[in-house]
Amino acid sequence: MENSSKEDYKIQSFDLENQKLLKTALKDPGSVDLEKVSSVIVDQSLKDQIFSREAGRICFTIVQAEAKQTNGSVFRRNLLNRLQLEFKAREETRTRSTQEWVCLVSFICNVFDNLKVNNMPMMALVHPVYDCLFRLAQSDALMNEDEVDCLVLQLHRIGDQLEKMNMHLMDELFNLLRDGFLLQEDLSSMGRLLLLEILEFRAGGWTLSDTAQKYYYSELTD
Amino acid sequence: MSEHQRYRRENDHKHDENRNKGSSRWSHCRKRGADGVLRKSPAGEELVPDQRSPQSRPERTPESDGPVSRVRNWGDQVEAHEMRSNIQRDMHRYRRRILTVDFPQRDRKISSGSSDSRDSRDSRDSPAKGDMETDEAILVRRQKQINYGKNTLAYDRYIKEIPKHLRQQGVHPKTPNKFKKYSRRSWDQQIKLWRVKLHAWDPPAEEGSLQQIEEIDLGEIMDFEFDVECSAETESQSPTTTAPSLPLTEVTSQFTGNHISLTRGCTMKPV
Repeated sequence: MENSSKEDYKIQSFDLENQKLLKTALKDPGSVDLEKVSSVIVDQSLKDQIFSREAGRICFTIVQAEAKQTNGSVFRRNLLNRLQLEFKAREETRTRSTQEWVCLVSFICNVFDNLKVNNMPMMALVHPVYDCLFRLAQSDALMNEDEVDCLVLQLHRIGDQLEKMNMHLMDELFNLLRDGFLLQEDLSSMGRLLLLEILEFRAGGWTLSDTAQKYYYSELTD
Repeated sequence: MSEHQRYRRENDHKHDENRNKGSSRWSHCRKRGADGVLRKSPAGEELVPDQRSPQSRPERTPESDGPVSRVRNWGDQVEAHEMRSNIQRDMHRYRRRILTVDFPQRDRKISSGSSDSRDSRDSRDSPAKGDMETDEAILVRRQKQINYGKNTLAYDRYIKEIPKHLRQQGVHPKTPNKFKKYSRRSWDQQIKLWRVKLHAWDPPAEEGSLQQIEEIDLGEIMDFEFDVECSAETESQSPTTTAPSLPLTEVTSQFTGNHISLTRGCTMKPV
């Protein structure tokens, strides 16, 4: 049971001391410094691409554990405020390191996906998430395959939820993507393919038709 | 200008989910907080959360959040959102409850203004639908006050000791019903009395002076409007509380200047 939960949350990449800290936080949040825990998680998310895409789950579990044990929300508050700082500095981050920027976006989106408030997405994150996606839809980002990859991943995962929260912005975002696909000359062919797939994906109601599935994915033989 | 550009401009300076953007834009210019205390400096109205300076506002009593939100960090925004959605949920539950209470008694339509519903003014009376408090700002403020009371050790001990079905009317404190229509003064008084009653379940005092301060200043403090923004950093083990490192509502009594930890945490528990 211990091991499987480790795998579930993908915390193998943490050093042993922090793994221990996280495991304790999951079981007995009141006994740890939750500000430190949130800090450890955010730091790792910015470095580790795999973790950044899944970190939202462990965060949510800690939030729930804390609420149940002490009725507090220290962890969530610290997590969100730290995330906000990182968000504010995203342009510098992007300039400094595309990897870190992509991890940041993945993490924010994964938090949006997992940390629900009374089963609703956190409203405070809707615009920030859109901000990130719009940035990824700019022409300088579209020519970078890593960024396009990040963009379509997020849209696959949370596109429908985002659209429900704000249809207009989603329309505008897709206008940019469509324009990029049609007009931008320096896209890589993979980038173009990814864009086409996501355009179809949304057009199909956030799901891929069988034919589209065959077209995009059946040729991947490796 | 495309909607995205427009929204970016508006949101460059704040991520404010509240619709009333007008007042909140200028609230940072107010010289005095709602309690009249001169503000030392404009509160951090930018996005940058105030987590690194818990001592930045020790001198003034936290001011009212009011129905219009100021610029807040994400942590606060989400907590406010959670509180509002909890209140909505409470409201649905409450409405269902009063409907089931009313229903067996009458076979007429449940229309507001019907004199039937107002006749029985006993303590278990539920207001007719039209008499229910629905103003969100009021409900939020009342819920905050209730939360302060419920976050105390006294309340914890009280609910553990006396299960709800064993509560005696008048003897045991009862949480004021936030959905009933009351004047501001009446509500504040009910809260005050409720909290005073809860003190009977206070844990044995370790610091006698702290107990005294709590009792004396409770009245004055309750007259201020609290801001649920718990910008103070987590308080390390305090001798009078048993729960470790929790965000606290630290109230600085205007009269004694002492810090009073009346609560053990900021919670948005449903009523």
